[in-house]
Amino acid sequence: MSPRSLLGTDQGSGGAALDLSVRIAGLTLANPVLTASGTFASGREYAGLVDLDRVGAIVTKGVSLEPWAGNPSPRIAETASGMLNSIGLQNPGVEAFIAKDLTWLAAHHPDVPVIVNVSGHTCAEYARVIERLEETEGVAGYEVNISCPNVEHGGMAFGTDRYAAAEVTSACRAATGRPLVVKLSPNVTDVAEIARAVEDAGADCVSLINTLLGMAVDTETFRPMLARVVGGLSGPAIKPVALRMVWQVAGAVDVPVIGMGGIRDARDAAEFMLAGATAVAVGTANFVDPATVTHIVDGLAEFCRTRGIVRVADLTGALVTD
Amino acid sequence: MRMPMCEACGDSGNRDMAVEHVVVRSNDRVCEGVGLMVLEAPATASKVRPGQFVHLRIASDREFMLRRPFSVHRAHGGTLEILYQVLGRGTRAMSLTQREDRMDLIGPLGHGWDIPDGLTHALLVAGGLGAAPLGMLAEELARRGVAATVVMGAPTGERLVARDLFERVARRVEACTDDGSAGEKGFVTVATHRLLDEGGFDMVYACGPEVMAKAVAGQAFEAGVACQVSLERLMACGIGVCLSCVVATVNGQKRACVDGPVFDAREVSWDVSEIPPRH
Ligand SMILES: Cc1cc2nc3c(=O)[nH]c(=O)nc-3n(C[C@H](O)[C@H](O)[C@H](O)COP(=O)(O)OP(=O)(O)OC[C@H]3O[C@@H](n4cnc5c(N)ncnc54)[C@H](O)[C@@H]3O)c2cc1C
Ligand SMILES: Cc1cc2nc3c(=O)[nH]c(=O)nc-3n(C[C@H](O)[C@H](O)[C@H](O)COP(=O)(O)O)c2cc1C
Ligand code: FES
Repeated sequence: MSPRSLLGTDQGSGGAALDLSVRIAGLTLANPVLTASGTFASGREYAGLVDLDRVGAIVTKGVSLEPWAGNPSPRIAETASGMLNSIGLQNPGVEAFIAKDLTWLAAHHPDVPVIVNVSGHTCAEYARVIERLEETEGVAGYEVNISCPNVEHGGMAFGTDRYAAAEVTSACRAATGRPLVVKLSPNVTDVAEIARAVEDAGADCVSLINTLLGMAVDTETFRPMLARVVGGLSGPAIKPVALRMVWQVAGAVDVPVIGMGGIRDARDAAEFMLAGATAVAVGTANFVDPATVTHIVDGLAEFCRTRGIVRVADLTGALVTD
Repeated sequence: MRMPMCEACGDSGNRDMAVEHVVVRSNDRVCEGVGLMVLEAPATASKVRPGQFVHLRIASDREFMLRRPFSVHRAHGGTLEILYQVLGRGTRAMSLTQREDRMDLIGPLGHGWDIPDGLTHALLVAGGLGAAPLGMLAEELARRGVAATVVMGAPTGERLVARDLFERVARRVEACTDDGSAGEKGFVTVATHRLLDEGGFDMVYACGPEVMAKAVAGQAFEAGVACQVSLERLMACGIGVCLSCVVATVNGQKRACVDGPVFDAREVSWDVSEIPPRH
């Protein structure tokens, strides 16, 4: 059976214009390819290498209320088909973020939706970051990071307990009417349970996966490769796990899902969409090829065209399991 | 309170950078474990300044994926020379590449060596592969008529890489080897101490193991001579976004890939080899 009949669409690939837009949490994005938090800063450094206006949305590096110093070095280690990081959400705090990043984005790329990734040690801190950002223009929505494995307090501690996850979500929900995405941790037994909890608490969308807790050892020195010993695994190595979790969550909640984990090309992106993601995000691959996001946008268009699919959104959940 | 992050954040210093697809012109063994790769990279070669680096994608779809940072040793006639030491997967793959092989790089990257106007006599200190980023500098100093004295150190005489280049352009070259097979037996710091005592230098440029860079920075400070050091950090993105390459400085944490790799030695917080978490 061809994907065309599978999707029940009979438009040919010839005449009809391809629609790459998707809707998540009340936002219409020109295409479904986002940058994953922490791998793209706010886009400024990539400006000379990528056409930022072609990115579906920029998801910023995690922003906290006060400046955070991050973890000791070494903070990264390359592993088979992936990398570990223990950056620890180093960031200059919300005021500097507004003054530098948001101002620059508004001046140079006013049309690219900006989703601000938010971190905190307590529910109140998350909410206060959002409250501060509510006073500014140029924020399309928030992604609440309850899944960073690299901080002692907050981060993943919220994302691995459904009550804590719901509590952070409620606090953030109360602080904003803007689209609210909650980013889930894969370091749990039942990710669907956490997804349902944040949906019930008011999330408009869930994104997953954040990094998988991992470790690597230097056999020359007998030391861990990361100063913090453990860190978050990302890159192609985690794609099958990410895909499985996206599929589970998409089946468990009604809100849209942003899928990520090891995406390198349009086929990877299509896999996530077929498994139920409405949009996808690209992380580690940006480090290897800075133009990955735009290549995927072009590749998805081609993927659809060659299969007679006229709306990329039709890929979402089109997995055939019978 | 001081911001635990560079002021320049987001203010990328890498305005000239681009992805360039390059072709391997030659790749030859220099000595045990060290190779010299010549890349046809006209765009980068025309822009690169001494001390800058390129982020090289050695091969795609092998067992590793991240790029590897390498200083530009020399740039001439549309080519870049990279002097590299074989350490792990990436550099081993590099040692196996052949003429006409293709790869790509992002470059030129980073803040290189500052050459202030009016400089008269510079002391260049190269520990092992630290000679790599000093090659272009030595040539540029010669071009500007600045005298250079080079102190280089290596385990053995055979491993004094780039010695010919330095002898061609520098006023004086002193070698130090662990086994005494060439030059003085012992560490470079013995020679640099003596030279700085003799005086006459108005800048020290150092690159090598961090303990060496730190020791030389201390000697320069005592002697009242300005000093710049090129520091290495593990790098994922190479362009300032991932924060894997931070260096502790008296002005907060800076990124080696954008604010460095060359730093003013007085700016580096040498005692903070590890930055403790704040919370
Ligand atoms: C700005 C900059 C310029 C550099 N210039 C040169 C150069 O001109 N010539 C040269 O030979 N090397 C240079 N290096 C170091 C070079 O990048 C590493 O040796 C290389 O990435 C190792 O890759 P690998 O896959 O062979 O080793 P891996 O398998 O990744 O690691 C093998 C060993 O090398 C160490 N290592 C890995 N990456 C680095 C790094 N970035 N810095 C220090 N140690 C590292 C690891 O900790 C490990 O012990 C430079 C590094 C930086 C940051
Ligand atoms: C260096 C690095 C920094 C990251 N920083 C953040 C962050 O600040 N906030 C966040 O929610 N996720 C962060 N992540 C997780 C990514 O956004 C993403 O969820 C994960 O890396 C999986 O995608 P990938 O395999 O495409 O990289 C970071 C990942 C990396 C590699
Ligand atoms: S290597 Fe990514 S910030 Fe320097």
